[in-house]
Amino acid sequence: MQSSEQEEDLRLLRESARTLFDRAGGSGRSRKLRDAGGEFDPDMVRELGEAGVFGVAVPEEQGGLGMGLAAGGVIAEEVGRVIAPEPVVATIGLGLGLLRRLCPEHPKLEQLIGGEASLAVAWQERGPGGASADATCRYADGKLTGGKAWVVGAGGTQDFLVVAEADGGPVLVLAEASADGLVTTRRAQADGSSLGELSFSGTPAAELACGAAVQRALSEAVADATALAAAELVGLSQRAFEITLDYIKTREQFDKPIGSFQVIQHRAVDLNVMCEVAQAAVREVLMRMDGETDASIRARLASRAKARAVTAARKVTRDAIQLHGAVGYTDEFDIGLYLNRALVLSAWLGDDAYHRRIWFDAREEEGAAQ
Amino acid sequence: MTDWNAMSDAEFRKEVRGFLEAEYPEELRHLPHRPKFAEIEHWHRKLHTKGWVAPAWPAEYGGMGLNAAKLLIFYEEQQRWGVNRGRDMGVQMVGPLIIKFGTQKQKNYWLPRILSCEDIWCQGYSEPGAGSDLANLRTRAEIDGDDFVINGQKIWTTMAHDATHIFMLVRTDPDAPKKQQGISFVLAPMDQPGVEVRTITTLSGETEFCEVFFDNARTPRENLVGELNKGWTMAKALLSFERIFIGSPSLAQNALGQLESFARGRGAFDDPVFRDRFAQAALDVEDHAALYSRFADQLKRGETLGADVSMLKIWVTECFQRITELMIEAAGPDGGTVGPLQVGNVSVDVLASFYKARPTTIYGGSNEIQRNILSKAVLGLPD
Ligand SMILES: Cc1cc2nc3c(=O)[nH]c(=O)nc-3n(C[C@H](O)[C@H](O)[C@H](O)COP(=O)(O)OP(=O)(O)OC[C@H]3O[C@@H](n4cnc5c(N)ncnc54)[C@H](O)[C@@H]3O)c2cc1C
Repeated sequence: MQSSEQEEDLRLLRESARTLFDRAGGSGRSRKLRDAGGEFDPDMVRELGEAGVFGVAVPEEQGGLGMGLAAGGVIAEEVGRVIAPEPVVATIGLGLGLLRRLCPEHPKLEQLIGGEASLAVAWQERGPGGASADATCRYADGKLTGGKAWVVGAGGTQDFLVVAEADGGPVLVLAEASADGLVTTRRAQADGSSLGELSFSGTPAAELACGAAVQRALSEAVADATALAAAELVGLSQRAFEITLDYIKTREQFDKPIGSFQVIQHRAVDLNVMCEVAQAAVREVLMRMDGETDASIRARLASRAKARAVTAARKVTRDAIQLHGAVGYTDEFDIGLYLNRALVLSAWLGDDAYHRRIWFDAREEEGAAQ
Repeated sequence: MTDWNAMSDAEFRKEVRGFLEAEYPEELRHLPHRPKFAEIEHWHRKLHTKGWVAPAWPAEYGGMGLNAAKLLIFYEEQQRWGVNRGRDMGVQMVGPLIIKFGTQKQKNYWLPRILSCEDIWCQGYSEPGAGSDLANLRTRAEIDGDDFVINGQKIWTTMAHDATHIFMLVRTDPDAPKKQQGISFVLAPMDQPGVEVRTITTLSGETEFCEVFFDNARTPRENLVGELNKGWTMAKALLSFERIFIGSPSLAQNALGQLESFARGRGAFDDPVFRDRFAQAALDVEDHAALYSRFADQLKRGETLGADVSMLKIWVTECFQRITELMIEAAGPDGGTVGPLQVGNVSVDVLASFYKARPTTIYGGSNEIQRNILSKAVLGLPD
């Protein structure tokens, strides 16, 4: 359980993050960035860094605020509310999650926290059938060969953190985006962003860490990012619901607001309940992850959060379009932007069906171990 | 003229399949967007020469006169091969309207032009204040000599930017005691100074629907279909054609086929949960077809469809949406990716199908409205 002091800290953090995003232009800013080509705004990244946003979950002794994942979740919800395109969750969860666990002295850590550097993490791979597959990307003699897929923030990044296979087991290496033999292909996403597919042919890269610790840190970082992505979806769903609620109160048909029809009222209530359950579950998960050291339990908690958040976001964003009628299907209304962002966030790091499967398997394993 | 209905189902299916596989242009298969006419014109010409533009119209008007069973086969084969609907508002909506309510002169003039696509039609019903409450429409048509003069605005008009004519509901008697009265059906040319079209971008970035503004636009009085001020009853009759069309299995069948090849290629069937959900969707589609043919038969016997036809639309559109959600699930980390996804030698545009499925529960009378209709008119529940 959280102490009232901690609760107050999180409340203040939420307020300041909300103010920051609103002042920057809210969802209108996100729309402009999308129209301009889909990349995030480096100035905004710097501003977020200065405000301490990236460092919330980094321990104080490593230069962060030491407020834990619970605080990361607060930030992620606010990012979701305004569908901001900056890779906040990827940075907190993956980039910083790996660096702080594996090489806390590396200068990139401080730069990332300060919003002065960008660093996209490349760890997944695409198999021949198109689905995700085991890692085969090799690192030997200071060079990378192979490929990586589904890299968030690949478009605007200066460097890549790459998890690869070396003779002595997995390694974490740093490659410059402009390095020789690195080809980045961008795949356009529904929200206007892109995911990178990287192909390395003898690309020079510097080794940062190696051995079993890399695999452990990666699993932990992925669990963190998964739970934070869930929080981002919670914020997104909540805002999509609010927009819809406003709409059904004002749109009139048959000489009254459509929100006066009982079927619409019940639908709105269902969405509200869905949002509240998701918010409560995801916040609880983040809190518990902060107090939990067992990696498999943390991973199971993260799966619980993502499963719930994706289910809720799907229901809320689809119903939101329906309740808007034809205007919901236009680009002019913001509600479509929320649907498109939800598609992307749901697919990233696994959807609800995937995470329910993981959750169940993990639960069986824990049961067998006891 | 061939009597298609006299053929066995198997023979007929073979005939249709053979034609489509031989003649349908490869580059138009599973088209992810709504094409402009120019893009599909070469295909339309072939269909027209073959006499297959209007499968459901009676043969005397140039249709194929298919009975329900044959019509289903025809649609199934089209879907199986990923054949585009084409610009079919004329065939699906204006044709049936004119056949049912038009004068002989109107039939002689308009029907052949629909079949040849000399005229390309768009549907002007909805207005900013008249969506579900269609009877609230305000666009005025006033008689001036031999013409109607039209003023007002339509919205959500699909492909109006690529249409030559609009069939529209207009208010001809603003003083009628009820808003359902005083509405008429008129046909109007789009290419005139008083008509302005603005495209609206959809949430997937397509421009498939429009706003249409009328500023003293004109159409000859002889373009009134049916009686003056009786448009509402006709529109309702036409809506039942629209509902059986939107309620047909075709969109869901097509999506199911795409889901199957995509899921197979991605290995999604290794998961027993996914298999079960696929089987559910497949049976939802198949069983819907059984219900569909019941209504289609009614239509073929010349009976008027009852309000219960709404159940087709509810079932199949929601099923279509579930199928596209399964496609997204099978896409895994590619679930937010725009454009065709390659699996083996097929490519499937998962998001295009998803986007196509979304508005099917909104247009043609939203599914909420269909449920209102069923609960009142079919179940007899009190207000
Ligand atoms: C892709 C697309 C293409 C279209 N093409 C055309 C076209 O070519 N020509 C044309 O004329 N129109 C077209 N339309 C418009 C379509 O017919 C309308 O969108 C539809 O009638 C709903 O109206 P609306 O959008 O104004 O929604 P509204 O009527 O404002 O409805 C909003 C929400 O409230 C619900 N609602 C409304 N009234 C009730 C009630 N009494 N009880 C319960 N729920 C209610 C609706 O179901 C919906 O969920 C198209 C729409 C779309 C999305």
